[in-house]
Amino acid sequence: MLDFEGRALRTELIGLFTRPIDEPLTDDEFTGLARRVFAYQFARNEPYAAYCLRRGVRPETIEHWTQIPAVPTAAFKELPLVSGKLADAEAVFRTSGTTRGAERRGEHHILDLSLYHGSLLPSFAAYLLPDGAELPMLSLVPSVREMVDSSLAHMIDVVMDRLGADGSRSFATVATGIDYDALDAALERYASEGTPIMLLGTSFAFVHWTDHLRERGMRHALPPGSRLMDTGGFKGRSREVPEPELRATYHELLGIPEDHVVNEYGMTEMCSQFYDSVLREKVVRGAAGPRRKIPPPWVRTIPVDPETLEPVAPGEVGVLRHHDLANLGSVAAIQTEDLGRLEGDGFVVLGRASGAPPRGCSIAMDLLVEAARARGR
Amino acid sequence: MIDAFHLPGLAEADVASWDVREYGDGAVRLRFPVMEPATLGGVLDTLARARAEHLADRPVAEIVAVVDAVARRFLDPADPVRRLAEDALPAVTGYSPPMARLILDRMAADWSADALERLLHEELGDPAVLDGFREGRRALGPELAFHIFAGNVPGVAVTSLVRALLVKAASLGKTGSGDPLLPVLFARALAEVDPGLGACVAVTYWPGGSAGIEGVVFERADTVVVYGGEAVVESVRARAHPGARLVEHGPKLSFAIVAREALEATQRDATAADTARAVATFDQQGCVSPHVVYVEDGGATTPRDFAAALAGALAALEAELPRGRITPAEAAAIHQLRGAAEFAGLAGRGVELFASDGTEYTVVYDPDPTFEASCLNRVVRVKPIGSLDDVAGLVRPYARYLQTVGIAAPAGRRRVVAERLARAGATRMTDLERMPWPPPTWHHDGRGPLLELIRWVDLEG
Repeated sequence: MLDFEGRALRTELIGLFTRPIDEPLTDDEFTGLARRVFAYQFARNEPYAAYCLRRGVRPETIEHWTQIPAVPTAAFKELPLVSGKLADAEAVFRTSGTTRGAERRGEHHILDLSLYHGSLLPSFAAYLLPDGAELPMLSLVPSVREMVDSSLAHMIDVVMDRLGADGSRSFATVATGIDYDALDAALERYASEGTPIMLLGTSFAFVHWTDHLRERGMRHALPPGSRLMDTGGFKGRSREVPEPELRATYHELLGIPEDHVVNEYGMTEMCSQFYDSVLREKVVRGAAGPRRKIPPPWVRTIPVDPETLEPVAPGEVGVLRHHDLANLGSVAAIQTEDLGRLEGDGFVVLGRASGAPPRGCSIAMDLLVEAARARGR
Repeated sequence: MIDAFHLPGLAEADVASWDVREYGDGAVRLRFPVMEPATLGGVLDTLARARAEHLADRPVAEIVAVVDAVARRFLDPADPVRRLAEDALPAVTGYSPPMARLILDRMAADWSADALERLLHEELGDPAVLDGFREGRRALGPELAFHIFAGNVPGVAVTSLVRALLVKAASLGKTGSGDPLLPVLFARALAEVDPGLGACVAVTYWPGGSAGIEGVVFERADTVVVYGGEAVVESVRARAHPGARLVEHGPKLSFAIVAREALEATQRDATAADTARAVATFDQQGCVSPHVVYVEDGGATTPRDFAAALAGALAALEAELPRGRITPAEAAAIHQLRGAAEFAGLAGRGVELFASDGTEYTVVYDPDPTFEASCLNRVVRVKPIGSLDDVAGLVRPYARYLQTVGIAAPAGRRRVVAERLARAGATRMTDLERMPWPPPTWHHDGRGPLLELIRWVDLEG
């Protein structure tokens, strides 16, 4: 729940969420709103305010939204970053991370779920359902009832409930993983009925499933209009498969053409998500332009120099920084360690931070934690 | 363009295609042959013939003398080999020029006759057991050692080749992408000094895990020496010939301990300077590089103030031994770690950050004594401990990864803590100053580097 002033800002933001997705705000408009959101957070989020003051930044000093200090995603592992009262949070999403105990998973406390849903639905609809289709949504992610703190499970649950047709459901559980047989049976049924469907899941789940299909010599010919949303890196949970190869596999084994494969890029620390532009462009303009992610009007993304954290020159590779106004109840400016560059009206992600092991014979923290756990058992 | 391979028996015409890579924004270009299983098989045939002809019956003393001559070339500032190494290593490895020079000086000293003789005596007693039976004992090395290098610390690869030469093994070294050059320069210099021995060593690069090429080598190598991360070591273990001997140098972690006596006003700055050098050397990418510094409470300097002093020492060192080039992902990881530390401090956990304006060095003072791995490139955590006795318990969960412990403590206390750490898994205890530079006789990861290459043969009666 937000306080009185927060609710006023929320009303404005929810108005913004209904704006046509292809009509970005001007820089001045975005800065104006970002400054007010920043002032709101500065007054209510003590550690964030202290972080800003150390950098000599106060709401009055902001002339452009890029001057608002961004919080590294790793900070969400250290403390709750709430702009308001922690007890008022309506949900908490946690990063999957490895297992340094609950206190070391990143936590995003959501004060107002209506902002989360308000940002999620129009953007998802625009990029995955630009044709207004109502499709059975088949998920490879366990239900939010089983994964209460997963933002991805929550997101899929909400879109199935609000935008999915009858038959939408999850085909995975935490305990038993994906129910391949049930999934294959459902796909065969939809294929024989000629009903297009949407598949949703993590990239590594799709790798496991398509490996399974290939081993059994199985393939599905899904009806035209079927589409697929995949998301996330691999983090050692399956073999690494480059995106183009994965898309070719979807085409081969599922019959879903490349321009109906939409990669989602989201993070626990953000209320808003990004989607590949291809399907929307194909439907709206008749042809898909270069695959990129286009922020909705209430989000801005810039790559910054990995050394200085200053914005890089156009076209250059940097570390992505997102400014998500839907994060009203936490922190809007988020510094990731994902590499990317601007591409026209959007951006491309060139590598998600995956906790890649350091060079040579050194060791990643994950491995160390595993070692400690193995001994603890 | 520099040819970054030394492949005896391979003619230019045998190479179907070449791979050219640029380093340091194009300052150096390296050329590698794209290896094919058949061409590599030919190289292995050449190695086997050369070993039989020039190495298997060569007295070990002669091998030492040849390697010593090569080492002298790497130590001579006027020698073309040394000059090429000095010029190219910074671009190829990312290390700063002063760091590259320091590494060359210190590593090449380990290939000198003096160092090699110490190693031979330490491990074998009488080195002549490598030449024939001595008092009923004979030491025989492998016929073909396949080395897979990590490349994070240039010179380690050469040391590995030198050890194989001492036990009269032919070697094929696959360089790591981090340093595809220095072992090649060594092999080439060896061939110049002694063409026969030079024909017993092959070195080149190919993308690690290339099944076709590596299958040929795994089929024929009777010893496989692998340096690298967990995934690399596991993959090699799965693919090596069942009969082959596997010498593994997997991921290792090191740390430092500072006793309260080393924090006296007269010693504090020296202790901080030595710690800074241990962190800065190899830009912390060595297995010997400390990730955490445990500092004992109750001395003249608090652990927190020691963290500040360490940051000062790292700043001072930046002029003499600058941090090298790092990747965008590495820089981003440093900013994430700093941000997390800053917010942990704002959350009231007593964490403080002492860091350069850029990413050159980062010291995090963290009262939580849990052992943590660094993201490297001169990022170190300082953690307080009530007593030196506490450390063994803190690191014991990571026993299989522990390696060097740099200890600044009076001799008596040092012995006590060394015994505890030995039992907790550490394999090398030394002082802070020597931390980055183990002696040639060290038991690398707890084993004898020559002993693990040879087999003993007894002749009784």
